[in-house]
Amino acid sequence: MKRSGVTSVHADIDALKGLHEALIRYRHAQREVAGRGEEEIKVVRASLEAKASRWRAQLEQCQAELGACQERAAQAAAGSAADGPAADGPAAGGDPVDCSGCARAVEQCRERLEQIRRWQQRIDAQASEFQGPASRFGDLLENDLPRTEEHLLALIRSLEAARRVQAPGA
Amino acid sequence: MVTRPDRDGDQQLRLLDDAWDKASQHWHDGMARQFEGGHWTPLLRESRGYLEGLRKLMDMLDAAERDTEG
Repeated sequence: MKRSGVTSVHADIDALKGLHEALIRYRHAQREVAGRGEEEIKVVRASLEAKASRWRAQLEQCQAELGACQERAAQAAAGSAADGPAADGPAAGGDPVDCSGCARAVEQCRERLEQIRRWQQRIDAQASEFQGPASRFGDLLENDLPRTEEHLLALIRSLEAARRVQAPGA
Repeated sequence: MVTRPDRDGDQQLRLLDDAWDKASQHWHDGMARQFEGGHWTPLLRESRGYLEGLRKLMDMLDAAERDTEG
């Protein structure tokens, strides 16, 4: 590697050019990374909202079924009380109505909705914490890095100019 | 297969770090020190802070999707 001897910058021009090109590639690649990160947050938030919506619909349906079941149970109980105890076996009002399955289904829907709500809150908190570093990084990509690239390019040009001056007598 | 953005970001930072290593092998003067302190170190710090935050967030998004499946 030749040294110019004219300038105080003792650098290999090719290595600095390599760094300059790497900085440009880095800026473009990280912009894409940041964009994909933002998109991913949107996608998962939408996915959680869609799941919550499905569970809310499921909860409404289960609650309706539970209500109907409880009504049947009340009617059966009333019928059974009106008939009085049968002498020869089970209550005359019919089989007892079991609503425990419906009640469990309602409970499961509520648990799933609560689980989704907790994840949504955690994601909101994490995304909020991430906002500071993301904003600083965006600023770095849009403002600082182009300045760094310009600075490096100026150094490279000054080195090249110094070498051109040096070349005739070299 | 689509990779996570934070992992791609880490890979990009490694590539840039390699380029800096190569350049700094040939560059030892005052300008190099000035560049390192004024440009390179802040770039590294902000990049690492961002990528660490992105990793945590992506981990959480993955966990949320897995946990709420079905």
